[in-house]
Amino acid sequence: MKKIAIVSLTACEGCQIALLDLGKRFFDFLDKVELVDFNLLEEKEFPKGKLDIVFVEGNPIRKEEIKILKSIRKQARLLVVIGNCAALGGIPEMKNYQNKKKTIRYIYKNVMKVPNPDIKEIDNFVKVDFTIPGCPINNEEFLKYVKILIKGKIPKIPEKPVCSECPYQGKEECFLRKNEPCLGPIIYAGCGAVCTKNEFPCYGCRGFLPNLNLQGFLKTLEKMKNKQEIDNNLEIFGLKDML
Amino acid sequence: MKLIIPHIHKTLGGTGFFSKISEKGEIKELRVTVLEGLRQIEGILIGRRIFETPLVISRICGICPTSHILNACRALEYALGIKVSEQTEALRRLITSAQIVQSHSAHLFFMSLADFFDIEDEKELNKKFSKESQAVLELRQFALRVISAIGGRTVHPITPRPGGFTKLPDKQALKDILKDYDQAEQAALMLVDLFQKIEYPKLKRKTRLASSYSEKDYPYHLGKQIKIGNEIFDPEGFFFNQVEEDLKTPPAKRVKYKGKTYMVGAIARIKNNNLEEKSYIQEFINKKNISEDDFFANNFYNSYCQAVEILHFIKEIKKEILDLEIKQDPYIEYTLRPGKGLGLLEAPRGILLSYLEVGKDGRIADCSIITPTAQYLNNLEEDLKILMKEIADFPKEKKIRRIKTLIRAYDPCIACAVH
Repeated sequence: MKKIAIVSLTACEGCQIALLDLGKRFFDFLDKVELVDFNLLEEKEFPKGKLDIVFVEGNPIRKEEIKILKSIRKQARLLVVIGNCAALGGIPEMKNYQNKKKTIRYIYKNVMKVPNPDIKEIDNFVKVDFTIPGCPINNEEFLKYVKILIKGKIPKIPEKPVCSECPYQGKEECFLRKNEPCLGPIIYAGCGAVCTKNEFPCYGCRGFLPNLNLQGFLKTLEKMKNKQEIDNNLEIFGLKDML
Repeated sequence: MKLIIPHIHKTLGGTGFFSKISEKGEIKELRVTVLEGLRQIEGILIGRRIFETPLVISRICGICPTSHILNACRALEYALGIKVSEQTEALRRLITSAQIVQSHSAHLFFMSLADFFDIEDEKELNKKFSKESQAVLELRQFALRVISAIGGRTVHPITPRPGGFTKLPDKQALKDILKDYDQAEQAALMLVDLFQKIEYPKLKRKTRLASSYSEKDYPYHLGKQIKIGNEIFDPEGFFFNQVEEDLKTPPAKRVKYKGKTYMVGAIARIKNNNLEEKSYIQEFINKKNISEDDFFANNFYNSYCQAVEILHFIKEIKKEILDLEIKQDPYIEYTLRPGKGLGLLEAPRGILLSYLEVGKDGRIADCSIITPTAQYLNNLEEDLKILMKEIADFPKEKKIRRIKTLIRAYDPCIACAVH
């Protein structure tokens, strides 16, 4: 049986919960593998030696978390990051665009010893073999890609925009047609356009598609609002530093 | 002598335990340790826009994002002077009930139950309780389908916004979920029975139990009052005057009431309010041959209280779906203005207070979020000190097991306590 670990760094743990939310289907999957680490379900000691796939969720904020990352990288045949925080920095990365010395003082006015590093994506610390994107991950997509990963192969996420899954593509209800900034055209599909289907524009948690004229598209959006608004939009899910 | 548990699994976020005990058995130091970095969600929000604030706040926690997003919307509505429709309130009651059921059922069955049977992994647990495991998974799916139908998805719901929802659920889709109601109720009754039969460890320490309070019903949403011990406050009075944040042990927040520890969550809600299913508590008290005071002085019983609450809240779900009428607009539009708002909601783990201030520039000027775990961490440590005396003669392995059992019975969410 393939050895699998699901490791969480500093995070909301929503990607792990998304797996649990698969219910019986997640447990059926667990029957086919040897799950060596998954904080929510077991309490065995983290094993030594090689592991087939290690999934990592969250941000390394404490020094210990960077050590954990480096050590699991050595153990992992494949290291797969799950979720927007691990892949793109996520919500905590919004701090990077502020005066981070000031941001922490809103919470800890006088305490000086709280770790306050710039938030960086996991691939700044270790080599990443594959990314399952999203905030949270799409658990159906996890099941689909894990089947390929278990065979030791790297899946390929189709290079299609969110619009390709959006019911409003080309219709009057399209946010862009209503002059409301939506990142759908430049973001990886695979989420089922779950936000736009729920009348909420895409803020790009799954990351930019490659080989597109991003700047050109963003300029169009800036005309709908202004540069600061669009910049702020790109800060929510860690996209701004990817430009 | 030191007793250290570096990492306690099966809790939300990273938790550990540290204690130092003298040769005479005196506890010199004891603390629940935190293995989680500070994400600074409250600081990050300063200067940010109103529409994105609930979305950002929901990312505090992946197990109770529904509670966080709804309470952020509520705080903003108070700040902006919006009154939402009864339809919005009904949908919020419904999704909040479902949030409590999904969180409690995940905690009880997959994180806490194994402790009482010395089981270490999920496969063994599923083998020993195979029938129960299937039933609880389906019960949890019942609640998740409600969240998904209203919120758009289970983790980090999309639709809640200040003023209401971006999109309304399909009433028929909600009604269809009720086809599985009887099965869910059977599973809830099974959980109550299972957690009633458990032989809980002894623990006796009287503490202050705090929750939303109402004279007539079982409040969990749109709370108007908070009861702690025998005192009653409005949310503002409680938040501004009665409790204070202790920031001396970062990165976790810890909150005290007049310098003292207190407990929140299922056990506190049941103590302070009239739960329709209170007979199950009485039955438990009779069977265990304990007094009511004993019951509320032993936080191991919080697990049983969660089981009884699951039964209560799935009944709420049924009632709300049957009563639901969808005929109003999804949301009320707001205009930006300066203001302050404090939301009060019962999250699965207890009182959630979300305070937001909108500045003259129409952006967030202040943000403070007091989560349930931040409120009971100190109480947990005081309980652990009493427990350590009870288990002083236990062999080390058994001692560790017992400590973990109490910590897990509290159902802490360290991601929430730190954020």
